[in-house]
Amino acid sequence: MAYKRQFYPGSTTPAKNRRRYMDPKVKLKKLRDVSMDDVVRIMGHRNPGEDYKSIHPPIEEGKEPDCPIRKLVVPIEGAKHGDRVRYIQFTDSVYFAPISPYQRAWMYLSRYRGVDTGTLSGRQIIEVRERDLEVMAKEMIDNETFDPALTGIRGATVHGHACRLDEHGLMFDGWQRYVWDDEKKEVVYVKDQVAIPLDRRISVGKPAAMSDLKKRTTIFRADGVDMRDDKEVTMYGLRIHKLRTLGGYQPWTVKGE
Amino acid sequence: MSSTTTPTADYAGVPLPEVQIITNRLLSAETTEKVLNALDVISGIRQINMTGESLPKTINSGPGKGLANNHSERRIIHVGGQEVELRYLVGGFYIELEVEDEAELDAKLEEIKAACNSTIEHGYTLQVGRYSKYRPSLHDYRSA
Repeated sequence: MAYKRQFYPGSTTPAKNRRRYMDPKVKLKKLRDVSMDDVVRIMGHRNPGEDYKSIHPPIEEGKEPDCPIRKLVVPIEGAKHGDRVRYIQFTDSVYFAPISPYQRAWMYLSRYRGVDTGTLSGRQIIEVRERDLEVMAKEMIDNETFDPALTGIRGATVHGHACRLDEHGLMFDGWQRYVWDDEKKEVVYVKDQVAIPLDRRISVGKPAAMSDLKKRTTIFRADGVDMRDDKEVTMYGLRIHKLRTLGGYQPWTVKGE
Repeated sequence: MSSTTTPTADYAGVPLPEVQIITNRLLSAETTEKVLNALDVISGIRQINMTGESLPKTINSGPGKGLANNHSERRIIHVGGQEVELRYLVGGFYIELEVEDEAELDAKLEEIKAACNSTIEHGYTLQVGRYSKYRPSLHDYRSA
């Protein structure tokens, strides 16, 4: 019997959004267009137009050891060229950001190959070969999982995801990598992800309205959709909790699960 | 939060009422200045302490370590003719009141609310209690 892949239980909006973001068959909506050069500038790993630095010769040139796994796995573009592994890290505000770090991990692993991702309380890092990273980073900045005000591109000192927003509705950033442009009503990056000043201001567009974000978010909140209001999600959480607990200290009592 | 020109007030020795104002949004330096100037004219305020999110002077980690942070909200504001160096994005005020009785306290509270309502756009919560020390403890006698 062939199983159909499932992603996440539940019938509430955050649950549905979690499924959408994770399902690789769903094409995420593109909300803005930040140019590739600007994405490269914000990440700060290389200058736009500069060659990719490599850490090993291209796979086709090198003499790879005879290994069945190497024969089986199709390398991603960056691996083929021997690119360095670089990163981008996003911070997601608890105030109804479109996505949160844990779901980012699920989404990354479900949608992309050749990535290494790490979840922390307020941020999510993704490490990939440089040229693939740039394509992914652009996708993630352009699509609906990004909000200019509530998602931050922060390589270090990410503090702010659980802080109150500032008066313009922007997530707190002690390093002020992005500022509010009051004339255009847009968010503008003035520093790269590790707070090194940029040569030019990079606009990432207008923040979404809170009513829109509440429809897009994957975050369950008592003042939005309470997780306890979604019976299936609650039962799924409880079931995992029960099985993990029992599996830890009384594995023989786990029967028929 | 400390002022560059004046020392913090001495301990009163008795638990005078303290008004805690927690704002719904973190305030810009400009708004903080407005709030403080609106509070400054109210008599019977013994001291105001502020809290918020720290804004470092320099980039304190990563490849940019040591560079100036140049945060637009980390600057000197003017309160009642004095300069105050802001090092935080302010999100809370603790106002210690020197009052004799409940009636006087209520009157002061009304004045404080009026000052906040006119300056804090996104709202705040206000509570009266005692949130900080009012007499010296061992901590005050430690060296360095």
